[in-house]
Amino acid sequence: MRRARPRNRKACAPGLGGDLRKLSLVAALLLAAALWLRAQEGGPPAGGPAAHHAAGEAAQAAAAERGRSLFKQNCAACHAEDATGGRGPDLIRSTLVRHDKNGDLIGPVLTNGRVDKGMPAFSSLSAGQITDIVAFLQSQLTLFDLHTRFGPYPNDIPAERLATGSVEAGKAYFYGPGGCSNCHSPTGDLAGIAKKYNPPDLEVRFLYPSGTPSTAIITLPSGQKYEGTLLLNDGFNVAIQGKDGWYHSWSTNAVKIEVHDPLAAHAALLEKYTDADMHNLFTYLETLK
Amino acid sequence: MRRFLTLLVVGGIFSASVAAQDLDPQKLLQPPTDTWATYNGDYTGRRYSPLAQINRENVSSLVLAWAFQTHARSLQSMPLEVNGILYISGGNEIWAVDGRTGRQIWHFARPGAPLGGGNKGVAMWKDRLYMTTPDAQLLCLDARGGKIIWQIAVADPALKAFGGVAPLVIADHIIIGTSGDTADLPGFLESVDPMTGEIQWRWDAMPKQGDLAWNTWPHDTDVATRGGGMTWITGTYDPQLNLLYWGTGNPHPVENSEARPGANLYTCTIVALNPDTGKLVWYFQSSPHDTHDWDMVMTPVLFDGTFHGKPRKMLAQAGKNGLFFVLDRTDGTALISEAFVPANWVAGYDQRGQPMPRKDKEPQPDGVLVTGGVGTNWQAPSYDPDTNLFYVNSREAMGVFYLTMPGKSAEGWAGRDFFLASKSMLKAIDVETGKVRWTADTEGRGGQSGILSTAGHLVFTADMSGNLVALDASTGNVLWHMYPGGPFGTGPMTYELDGRQYVVFLADSIAYAFALPVR
Repeated sequence: MRRARPRNRKACAPGLGGDLRKLSLVAALLLAAALWLRAQEGGPPAGGPAAHHAAGEAAQAAAAERGRSLFKQNCAACHAEDATGGRGPDLIRSTLVRHDKNGDLIGPVLTNGRVDKGMPAFSSLSAGQITDIVAFLQSQLTLFDLHTRFGPYPNDIPAERLATGSVEAGKAYFYGPGGCSNCHSPTGDLAGIAKKYNPPDLEVRFLYPSGTPSTAIITLPSGQKYEGTLLLNDGFNVAIQGKDGWYHSWSTNAVKIEVHDPLAAHAALLEKYTDADMHNLFTYLETLK
Repeated sequence: MRRFLTLLVVGGIFSASVAAQDLDPQKLLQPPTDTWATYNGDYTGRRYSPLAQINRENVSSLVLAWAFQTHARSLQSMPLEVNGILYISGGNEIWAVDGRTGRQIWHFARPGAPLGGGNKGVAMWKDRLYMTTPDAQLLCLDARGGKIIWQIAVADPALKAFGGVAPLVIADHIIIGTSGDTADLPGFLESVDPMTGEIQWRWDAMPKQGDLAWNTWPHDTDVATRGGGMTWITGTYDPQLNLLYWGTGNPHPVENSEARPGANLYTCTIVALNPDTGKLVWYFQSSPHDTHDWDMVMTPVLFDGTFHGKPRKMLAQAGKNGLFFVLDRTDGTALISEAFVPANWVAGYDQRGQPMPRKDKEPQPDGVLVTGGVGTNWQAPSYDPDTNLFYVNSREAMGVFYLTMPGKSAEGWAGRDFFLASKSMLKAIDVETGKVRWTADTEGRGGQSGILSTAGHLVFTADMSGNLVALDASTGNVLWHMYPGGPFGTGPMTYELDGRQYVVFLADSIAYAFALPVR
């Protein structure tokens, strides 16, 4: 078999080649980060670390906003307003942008251009403007990366986008086939529900408000009954927190177990919803403010 | 001639002495008994052991032979066991442990690297170990003491690539995959030289111009080069056909359909490659034009048998998309395409047996309700030749999918999804019909864990409540159970040493070895 040559990388023994340098760089960065953190812990400005953090975030956001207009004026013609590229490369997936630390890589490219690749030098940009453009690019990376299920909970889906159904149809479903009114009331437990939860939270919660525990009644052979919050029911053992606050457990085959799942109706409904039912119900519930 | 003989003798002595601790490559070709030589125990991915000392008559008397504390949380790796030594891995760590006593032989913690993080397992070639790391490096270590011999970069962590997949050793090839699903990133497989780490070949999940698969992407943007098709679960290998089988992950942007009309090969695809060249021999796309993150990397399990009266070399996969496939692994012909959980995103199957997704179940700005995923996840299933059943830990779930970044310029995930109520259960699937023969007796008895079957007529796994369990392979009845005090995130493995069979589970930070009592 013909062996391909390695490209752009070398296998090297640690301590002899680039890896050690890389490691010491990492170590230096970690040390710098640790020192920075300690400095922050040692002497936060008035208002405490949280306020300082918030102020830092606000400053960063302001820089990113200034950077957005600078980017639009200077860069968007080739890289698109959202930096996903056009005539010029996509900067969201750019190795250089992803490796940039506070403008150390982006700065020189802006100042000197990449004339061989058709990018002019932007030598008139001040250091502060470059910092703002870098802040904008960092915020764009974060924005794109946060559109995952692993990011923070989305507050960025507006109610108008989800409320594509009909209030009347949603209300009819609530009182009719959905059976929601058997347990809930728009003037009772659901009063103001749309103010309480952000739009995607409200939708996910009415579909299935997970986290609500089941309760159980345990009957011993003697006839004695225990009632409480169900903690475990794995077919081998059953455990509850009793109304007295104490934990109790039994072997499953020694007792009679009656489980009440307050979400049973939600689970059953989940299998029946059409997408239109979901949209209608959301549109109706969103009116409960 | 005399000189030749001398060399031969010296060579013979050398290999005999080395063989005492080296991995004998023949072990990879045999069902696991005294050795668990690779991620799946052997090349087939069946996770079936012919060991029967522990069996359905005596399994209820299992005792703890030893326990080993790694102090590393949430381990999700498969240990290897070679010549009496277990190799257990964490994100940037390996522990070599005596398989008889549970005593540590050595511990490797990568200098300067953060501990923790997932790793799926190490691979072994002769006296060397190979592992991929959270920062997408491939390490080669000396198995005798855990010293690093070399280290190479597989991908760029700044672009959100990461490692963790257990490499696969085929002859003198170390075959590695890659992970990453935050930003757009093209997947690939690489084969490297076990001595030097030099690349032997690379197979890219994104097709090149000239390949027919090129036409399964639009080309008015560069989306066809951007990616998906991650290769983050170890594949399987048929030495007779000399074919390497691997499942690839979802396309990018993950939940945006508009940016990439077409089937999007070779994402969510089972590919058969020549392991010497990396050339594609055939493919079967198990989830064309995926928009739900159904990364179809689940183990392609290989077994031979009679299918509807005809002898067949088969490959089966139970997918995250809720579908079960049996293929003829010589050419990828589909024999069975069948849902093993409700899957409302499927409109039907094309003439090759590949599913056709429903347009109206793609993620929408106002949300859409989808069933089918996560039908199962990456934790390995098992095929038992004695029962002819395929065991999979399944989940019947409803999810709601939102498109949050519409348009053709979307990148990365581009959506949100939330899983609502779900029911987990272990299912035993008949490989001749694709029908579920039974589900384990109690709801919740299935889980998210890997599975091992043995000739003791047993199926080992863990349930959703965290109990380790042994089930009757024919009925699913629970014959043994034990709560290990923490989550079991990987698959059980077994081996025999000095006439005693051990079953090992890694639960959270602890390795537990169970065996029958010593008389």
